[in-house]
Amino acid sequence: MKNFLAGFITPFILLPLVVLAYFALGFGDTRSDVKPSRWETALIRPAVRAAVRRNAANLSTPSTATEESIIAGGKLYVLGCMGCHGEPGKPYAEDHANFPPVPQLPHVGTQYCEPEIYWIVKHGIRFTAMSAYGPFYKEDQLWSLAAFIHRINTLTPAEIQSIQPQKH
Amino acid sequence: MKTFLEGFAIGTLVLILGVFLFLKTEMADIRADAVPSPWVAGFLNIATHASVRRNAPTQQSPLPNDEQVLLAGGKLFLNDCAGCHGELGKPSEFGATFYPPVPQFAQTATRYTEAQIVWIAKHGIRRSGMGAEGTSYSDIDYWHLARFIRQMTQLPPHVLEAIKPPPAQQPSPSDVKK
Repeated sequence: MKNFLAGFITPFILLPLVVLAYFALGFGDTRSDVKPSRWETALIRPAVRAAVRRNAANLSTPSTATEESIIAGGKLYVLGCMGCHGEPGKPYAEDHANFPPVPQLPHVGTQYCEPEIYWIVKHGIRFTAMSAYGPFYKEDQLWSLAAFIHRINTLTPAEIQSIQPQKH
Repeated sequence: MKTFLEGFAIGTLVLILGVFLFLKTEMADIRADAVPSPWVAGFLNIATHASVRRNAPTQQSPLPNDEQVLLAGGKLFLNDCAGCHGELGKPSEFGATFYPPVPQFAQTATRYTEAQIVWIAKHGIRRSGMGAEGTSYSDIDYWHLARFIRQMTQLPPHVLEAIKPPPAQQPSPSDVKK
């Protein structure tokens, strides 16, 4: 029994040390233009999704999105998000510069519901290129952005037209 | 010995399952605007520096030690990098909303060599806001940028004066994106 316990405890000391040594000696890859292993991706992706679900679970949309708020969100998207997340109505261009790659929302859409999108935009996602936009938008702007992004891969041509910036 | 190995195997299994369950059960905090523990932050910092040291080439800049190099690098920096990495004397508010926060080179000198800066700018840093700039610059432009970034905390006053853009043409973040 004593041996068993000693054996049981050893990996709790040894494994963290091995992991620490591996990274502290510089064996981890930092390049964002090289794909990480499938293992890494498979482990982290579900963790991010799970964390978003948990944190946004108590949020609910303040009011049902109207055509007006969706268009308002679209205009904010064009100004503030499109540079990285892609332009509605334009061909798909995969992001090779960032890892994790920035999702090209007009093409892939999103699996998150509006409160979850609101929460992500407000707080950002740690260890990605998604920063926290809480300081830069008002509450109603965050919600209209969420309403727009939720529908971003099913926009009608008329909707795409109406979010374009006015030409001077 | 046999019981030790049994314990070891079960301990390993429990540990791996524990980590997996922690991630699966939605316990991880992923917010970019909440600061992780100093342990995590400190360790990742060490790991990143170690990886860059191990992987980046060791090379001298092909450019002469010349003020023109600083000026050219400074122009590139203010056009393309300052939106996140801050202007001279003015840290970027936008850069502070990332986690890890974007380093403000004018306030905190970089620990990397010029060759390492070139390598980072070209390949980016995985799991951060730093994308790979790849072929957006020529090799020689990268070296100009690296010289400037390396010396940002100790620029001579007349260089500071020379790269200051006229007030009306301050680059805004939306220009940078285009």
